[in-house]
Amino acid sequence: MDLVRTLLSRIAAIFRARPLDASLDEELSAHIDLAVEDHIARGVPEAEARRLAMREFGGVTQAREAYRVQRGLPVVEQIRRDVRFGLFQLWKSPGFTLTAILTLALGVGANTTVFSMINGLLLRPLPVPQSGRLAVLGMNVGGPQPSYSFPAPLFRALERRHGAFSTVFAFDRSPFLVKSGAASEIIFGQYVSGSFFDALQTPPLLGRTLTPQDDRKGGDPSGFAVVISETLWNNRFHRDPAILGRRFVMDDVAFTIVGVMPRAFFGADPLQRPQIFVPLADEEVLGGDRSMIKFAERAWWLNVMGRLAPGATFDQANSQVAAASSAVLHEAVPDGKWVAGMEKRHFRLSAEPGSTGFTRIRLQFRKPLVAVFAMCGGILLLACLNLASLLMARGSARQRELATRMALGASRRRLIQQLLIEGLLLGLAGTAAGLALAPAVSRLLVAVLLGGRTDTYLDTSLDGRVFAFAAAAAILATLLFALVPAIKATSRSLMDRMKDGQHSTLTHERRAILPRILLGAEVSLALILVVGAGLVATSFLRIYNSGVGFDPRGVQNIQFRMEKSGLKGDALISFYREMGQRLRQLPGVTGVSDAKIIPFEGSEWDPDLPDTRGTIHDTYANAVAPDYFSTMRIPLLDGRDFTWNDTPSSGLKIILNQAAARQLFPDSDALGRSIRLDEGKKISVYQVVGIVADAKYDDLRSLAPATAYFAIPQFDGDGSPSFNAVVRTTMPPGPLASAARAITAQLAPSVPAPEMTSMQKTIDDSLGAERMMTMLAVFFALCALVVVSIGLYGTLAYATARRTAEIGIRMALGAKRAHVAAMVFRQNLWVVMGGAVIGLAVALVATRALASFLFQTTARDPWVIAGSICALALAACVASLVPALRASRIEPMSAIRCE
Amino acid sequence: MGESKPDILQGTLDLMVLKTLEAMGPLHGYGIARRIEQVSGQTLALNQGTIYPALLRLEQRGWIKAEWGMSESKRRARFYSLTRTGRSRIAEETRNWERVASTMALFLAAPK
Repeated sequence: MDLVRTLLSRIAAIFRARPLDASLDEELSAHIDLAVEDHIARGVPEAEARRLAMREFGGVTQAREAYRVQRGLPVVEQIRRDVRFGLFQLWKSPGFTLTAILTLALGVGANTTVFSMINGLLLRPLPVPQSGRLAVLGMNVGGPQPSYSFPAPLFRALERRHGAFSTVFAFDRSPFLVKSGAASEIIFGQYVSGSFFDALQTPPLLGRTLTPQDDRKGGDPSGFAVVISETLWNNRFHRDPAILGRRFVMDDVAFTIVGVMPRAFFGADPLQRPQIFVPLADEEVLGGDRSMIKFAERAWWLNVMGRLAPGATFDQANSQVAAASSAVLHEAVPDGKWVAGMEKRHFRLSAEPGSTGFTRIRLQFRKPLVAVFAMCGGILLLACLNLASLLMARGSARQRELATRMALGASRRRLIQQLLIEGLLLGLAGTAAGLALAPAVSRLLVAVLLGGRTDTYLDTSLDGRVFAFAAAAAILATLLFALVPAIKATSRSLMDRMKDGQHSTLTHERRAILPRILLGAEVSLALILVVGAGLVATSFLRIYNSGVGFDPRGVQNIQFRMEKSGLKGDALISFYREMGQRLRQLPGVTGVSDAKIIPFEGSEWDPDLPDTRGTIHDTYANAVAPDYFSTMRIPLLDGRDFTWNDTPSSGLKIILNQAAARQLFPDSDALGRSIRLDEGKKISVYQVVGIVADAKYDDLRSLAPATAYFAIPQFDGDGSPSFNAVVRTTMPPGPLASAARAITAQLAPSVPAPEMTSMQKTIDDSLGAERMMTMLAVFFALCALVVVSIGLYGTLAYATARRTAEIGIRMALGAKRAHVAAMVFRQNLWVVMGGAVIGLAVALVATRALASFLFQTTARDPWVIAGSICALALAACVASLVPALRASRIEPMSAIRCE
Repeated sequence: MGESKPDILQGTLDLMVLKTLEAMGPLHGYGIARRIEQVSGQTLALNQGTIYPALLRLEQRGWIKAEWGMSESKRRARFYSLTRTGRSRIAEETRNWERVASTMALFLAAPK
């Protein structure tokens, strides 16, 4: 109790030191005056009385000091003094301070930014109770990593035999078409299985959540139920309290709203913010002809997760689902051929920890983000090395100050503490600046990363984990850059220092090895980063310029959704034909066609085509309208294009690209030959009417795959298949999009307004991860060059400024200006060369880690390495030339007079 | 240094201050110092300045409190007085001190 009281009182005193000091002074002087009065009253003469009073009191200063020690907390007082002194020191050299803060802000800021992205994408647990008990299920079918997309029947089988899980649930994102008045609007939501909400254990804001009763064919007896998000409730229903039980029409199906989920709940995909949760079974109704459920085991689309049963472990769960793999497969799929095919590919189920939920984007970005994070670490290390060498240069400039303070009785520990506090101040300022920048930069990066996916949301907000990371980075950095120079600066014995004049230490210093090692390490690190960035950028450019086989510039894709249009067969074909004719008349349009699949958009169609020997090949396919090849500028090498006269009754036609022609007809010319296609229900025979040049399908990195083109007029889709109009135009896209909408409304009001995307953007987006990595790598490499230049310039400028007198003497003795400049320049030359050699050696080893990211680029690309060395040499030369030139302009007379 | 007077143990001074305030009521620093000198019969080498850290220590513990007031000679001075806590602690502090003193006495009286 007494202790606490005393401590509080001491802490309080720290903040009122000045008034308390004044009060003490008044009290002490009152004491002396009272004593003097006392003595005078006893008959002592006044002068003698004062002398006596002072003697009886003892030392006034000592008493005051003892009182102050008792009053405050000496350590805190000391630190406060050090902070004030440090601030003053930093204020005195604003150039140094600003450089240091900016360097650190860059280092800490970059790390925090990338960490906040990693945090949002990979680390942050789902905000649901006991997220640590969630698991993600995968199917291993012989690929390098498991497939996380399940066909519906397999999921249903897993749902029934949940084993070590208390529940197994599934979800998939989907757009839903909502009518508002005459216009239709798309909102993004998720299909969720019956036990989804049960597993995520989050109570609704209003009403109830969905249950297994809702997740049945035909829904609950009372109709189809949906749960909406608080955001939708807010934006669409203005927080109407009577929302429960309201009808809500999506894709012409009436649903009943049974609950509202709180805003903080977003399901199990951290990158989605679903507005609406629809029972999985209703997909069969909403999906119409394209229902994934109807495709059964042939559609792989559901993300499956589970919640561990109480007491079960991940290992148990994993081995249980693995053991149940074959049983699940047989139970779920009646098609024996399909099951046999899966078993041949060693089909096996697996479970892994899923506290962070599941998002597909993670698979694509995990590796690039971690690589970028490593680069950031390099930048931070570089910033620290740079600050350490600058502080060390400063430390030697402050030798006299430190020596004087030691002579006056400051202990070495005190001096180190003071220098560390100076470093800590820099660290705090730099971190604060970095943190202030981080949110803006991460927004920018997220925009690049998500590449215009409007339905995706990456939360990079600075949570406790990010702050802890930033604090750890800052403290570690401060220790790294401040401790070594502080120890170094105070290491020499007092006698040495006192013996030395201002300048006699210089010869000694110039030979000092530690600063050079630091600078050399900086150069090495910078070179590694530059080489890495060079490789990544070269690879990206090569991918980008590798050619896609068609000319994407000026091509726009107009996406129609026909499922609900009611247009079928001939009516559907004539809609597209009419649409094409109308679009062709627009100004600037040079070509129009249609295609089932837009390249690089992510969808695939790969029927099994037999070659002449009967071997089946998984061949990519597309269905296109006449003029597709001329519109896309894919050369027609042989034969003819499709025409609108190629109708189902005129004999089925097919066009192959060169790769497909080679694959299916290895021995002879493909043109005019026929291909028998087993379509399950029937066997169709297609005649090859044309051969076109190869074009890539959905992967820029690999060679153009074998591709077969079917004719849209002969397309045998049940119901109303959707195609995309492909338009080549020289005009800006805006008017084209509105014209397409207007024509659609005229031709077929039942078709929703189409969306338009540019072919170039689709390709760019498919390179999102590579693009982000390249941009960051180049940015960091430039930063590294700037930082290392600052380091080289700063240390050399310091050292040279302190040799002013020496250089003056040299010049007075006849040294030429060019000679002096060369002498100064040479100091950095060796450091740079040494650093570069080591950096190169390390880079050659380290860049191998990049090999998996590189496209047609070896990790030892000589041009990249030579270019990197040139860039580094250039930066180093500029940084070293400035101090060298300044040294050569020293006036000998004034320099010597300085001494 | 001249004649050797014993230095006082820390804690001893605290108790002296407490007893003084108990006997005399509110008193300023000089008054406390004089009173201690008088009671101890000039046998202690008390640098009057050393009572101020002691006074502060007692104040921080909440055993005494201080207020500015006027001395008999109409001079502004800081007057110290016991708080309720301080008053209640005197007895315990006295017992502690007596225990130490009697232990010391045992040691000193022990046969060689």
